[in-house]
Amino acid sequence: MAWKFDNPLHTLCTDDQNDVAKAVWEGESLGGIKEDNNRLPPPIIGILILTIITAFMITFPLWGQRPTAAIYEEYIALMDSPAIQGKSDAEAMEYIINQVKASGSKWGAEQERHPLEMDDLRLIRDAVIELQRNGSDLREYTVLGDHIVLANFEGNLKPDGTVERIQPWWDKGYTIDIFFIVIFCLGVLIVVKRLPDYEWEPSHHGH
Amino acid sequence: MFKYLFAKAEDIPAGSAAIYFGYSSIIWFVIGTGLGSFNAAKLAFPDFVMGSEILSFGHMRQVHVLAVILGWISMAFAMAMMYITPALGNTKLWSEKLGVWNCFLWNVGLSIGLFLLWMGVTSGREYSDLPWPIDLVVVLGLLVPLCINVLMTIKTRRTQGIYTTNWFFGAATFMVIIVFTVGNSPEFFQLTGLTEAYLTWWFAHNVLGLWITPVAAAISYYVVPKVTGNPLYSHRIGHLHFWSVVVFYSTPAAHHLMSAPLPEWLKSFASVEGVLILVPAIAFVSNLLLTMTGKWRMFVENIEIKFTITGVLMAIPLNMQGGFQQTRAINWYVHGTGWIVAHAHLALLGFSTFLEAAAVYYGLQTLLRRKLYSLGLANFHFWMLLIGFTAYWVSMTIAGLIQGAGKIYEVPYIDVVIAEHPYMIARWVGGTMVFLGNCVWLYNMYMTARVGTVIPAGRLPHELAYER
Repeated sequence: MAWKFDNPLHTLCTDDQNDVAKAVWEGESLGGIKEDNNRLPPPIIGILILTIITAFMITFPLWGQRPTAAIYEEYIALMDSPAIQGKSDAEAMEYIINQVKASGSKWGAEQERHPLEMDDLRLIRDAVIELQRNGSDLREYTVLGDHIVLANFEGNLKPDGTVERIQPWWDKGYTIDIFFIVIFCLGVLIVVKRLPDYEWEPSHHGH
Repeated sequence: MFKYLFAKAEDIPAGSAAIYFGYSSIIWFVIGTGLGSFNAAKLAFPDFVMGSEILSFGHMRQVHVLAVILGWISMAFAMAMMYITPALGNTKLWSEKLGVWNCFLWNVGLSIGLFLLWMGVTSGREYSDLPWPIDLVVVLGLLVPLCINVLMTIKTRRTQGIYTTNWFFGAATFMVIIVFTVGNSPEFFQLTGLTEAYLTWWFAHNVLGLWITPVAAAISYYVVPKVTGNPLYSHRIGHLHFWSVVVFYSTPAAHHLMSAPLPEWLKSFASVEGVLILVPAIAFVSNLLLTMTGKWRMFVENIEIKFTITGVLMAIPLNMQGGFQQTRAINWYVHGTGWIVAHAHLALLGFSTFLEAAAVYYGLQTLLRRKLYSLGLANFHFWMLLIGFTAYWVSMTIAGLIQGAGKIYEVPYIDVVIAEHPYMIARWVGGTMVFLGNCVWLYNMYMTARVGTVIPAGRLPHELAYER
């Protein structure tokens, strides 16, 4: 089986091989079915590229994350602040949110996506303080209503042998995905470039 | 059928196996959707048929699921393979007798399997509910003979090329044997725990991904060019579709268990691959819709194209749902709710059923050489299926969102049950419409065989559809 590599994006076959393929393509009836040799339309290629990018972006820990106990740690620390004594719950909550925002919290985006009221904070306060006392990593705990539960992530191993309960930004699953995508693209490219170039269209006058 | 089981091979008319498979599939479709309607009634009206253990929902659910998957869908596939594969190779089916035996064993094996399930003999694993001796019957009596017949027909073809449809048929009949054997290994080897859970969903995912989806798509690759007379838009997009099914549809099984303690990297891998299921979907839909260029009037006029293109169009919401609902961002909300039930029905009752129905309509008319008894009844069947399915899908999707909200916000279960009750009734109405439509279809095809107008030699059924 001969291969030609001088213009690989055009064809990987010799002219003779392409001539044979074209003759079979045009001369053979497959149960009365005919096939054209059109390329994938460019807008569809764009959608496919967008799909591959989206597949990674939507799977990264960016969106749809459940609230962790860590994002409310600063709120709870301010609950005993003298500045909120005597305020109504709504005013007190507004003060806490503004103070935390002004201090440049690294959880700002998550706090905005998962807003709380003062009553919610009261429900989780004791549990959060208990976890702080134990030295737990609050990022590993999910807030579900008035419950604080260990997150169900089975992430990477920590140095002490326990399992991290935080979805990592990158793990070997993503690396394997890239391997699959590369092999797939190469495989399909080779297969379709062994066909006559897409600028050639078969004539179906024979059948 | 029985007279051909022990007849000489040369005495069996070509197309016999496909015809038996075709009628068997319709009968199983009536049974399967009848059971579905019965089960839906039990969910809509909890007091419906009380006091009988074997008529309880727990006994009946898996009988419905497997009657539809192994009876309707898979036998319609076998029917399509037994007339399309030889047609595309300009040859005859490799062994008509093997095909007739295959159909006989399929009906007997499935009947025994479903009876055992009904009596409560079950593996207890969703989709792979059949007990292991029946699993062996399915592999050795149903799938292996089908695979041999299809692959040998392709091997003995009289053409040099192999058309796209036959790539899918050949690959799928082989892959489903692997899927069924490996997927049921928890029973063969007493595997338990997380391994059992993973293999259960590896099986369920790949029965869809490597059997139902590719074979249904392969049917449309045949029906659309054949009936419209247009060439398939692109042979090379067919390659893209085929290889992306193999690479991206076979790998994301772990996305069915996103909240289970599987390794997190496996979920990351599966979730990205799950979104990439859109790659074969985009290739498939674009290729078929572009093949329709200049023949869109047939979407209204021709019953086979009407079914096929409706199925192709359903691949769009199906894969958009399937691609994204499995990501962590969405799955935690919809997992374990009616949303997933709606999605499963979009795949099996929407997308694939419409494509298989087209294959059975077209195949039976072609093989019997008889024009459809009533085009009006066929159109009635189409609309009952489409409206009934849509009512089912929409109602269960809404019910799923209610259940998701109830789950996340810890709403008392009984309040969720009350809130979703109207949608359970709508589901029953939709499912019952599908069942009644199928009864009409069975009658129409029975009458087609009995009194349908004979198609003259050299003509095709769809050419005569509007001639009186």
